[in-house]
Amino acid sequence: MLLGLIQILLFQSLGELISKFLLPSLPGPVIGLVFLLCWLMIKKEINSSLALVSDALSQYLGLLFVPAAVGVVLFLPQLKENALPIICALIGSVVLTIGGTALVLKLFNQEK
Amino acid sequence: MIKPHSFVEIWVYLSGSPLIALFITLVAYQIGLWAYQKTKQNPLLNPVAIAVILVATFIELVDMQYDKYFEGAQFIHFLLGSATVALAIPIYRGISSLKNRVTPLLVALFTGGAISIASGVGISTLLGADKNIIGAFYSKSVTAPIAMGIAERIGTSPTLTAIFAVCTGILGAILAPYVLNFLRIKPWWQRGFPIGVASHGIGASRAFSINVEAGTYASLAMGLHGITGSIAIPVIYKLFN
Repeated sequence: MLLGLIQILLFQSLGELISKFLLPSLPGPVIGLVFLLCWLMIKKEINSSLALVSDALSQYLGLLFVPAAVGVVLFLPQLKENALPIICALIGSVVLTIGGTALVLKLFNQEK
Repeated sequence: MIKPHSFVEIWVYLSGSPLIALFITLVAYQIGLWAYQKTKQNPLLNPVAIAVILVATFIELVDMQYDKYFEGAQFIHFLLGSATVALAIPIYRGISSLKNRVTPLLVALFTGGAISIASGVGISTLLGADKNIIGAFYSKSVTAPIAMGIAERIGTSPTLTAIFAVCTGILGAILAPYVLNFLRIKPWWQRGFPIGVASHGIGASRAFSINVEAGTYASLAMGLHGITGSIAIPVIYKLFN
């Protein structure tokens, strides 16, 4: 398990460094993700230690953004004031996005 | 004789250490997980939403400032970056099951991403939402850890973005089956992918609970949307602001 964690921290640090000095518009962890993905595609396998850490992290991914989301307490009055546009935009947008994406896939499949 | 400490003293000591914030966060999330599993993964009882409500209520009740809470909880928050890097693994697994579907999937991803921003920002603007609220709609269909990174880069509120991302995830998980049935989408991969594009991890876990192929394609979509979103959203945001 430790080896997997070391690998992830290594790619994360690499990503942060590149984000800081070369590509400031991209978040460091995303650059790390892309590098790790390329590394996996070159190696063509996931070692068990890395799979273990990654599965643990994705299993509790939700937990990790609780601290930031609790910040909602600072925005409560503003959210209440904007409740109608927020609810409409959230629902409308998710329905349109799912529908639009699905239709593109369907159209492509019918051509064949 | 040791003087008995007053309750207040004990509380002052406890609330000064990161322990209490870590403890309530973990307990709240565990309660959320229980509720979610007890109801056979009803998307309405999302563990993140439950945990956020419980923690927010708790810190209001004991009159703890959010900054103070975050000081302790940041140890959990820190792992977000590592978890983002680890998303490479589900993407890699998804890619190996792609076959010759790359082109339709990429076109669908770009279309979906564009619709997500246009409709989210468009509807909230039309209905007259505040500027920082509209800003938080740009990356709401991207998985929350990456969405918050994007929000920091473009200067919108990471917190509001995370909240909208979680709400979008929950709404997508609930509404997706109706939308897909209405459009008569049958193949599992075609049902899974749009859920991942629109409602990232929360949608993907719902897709997994229905069908493995749908779940794999949903998490692939989540990962790809994370990468393309962090490249495209800052550019799009600059165009309109």
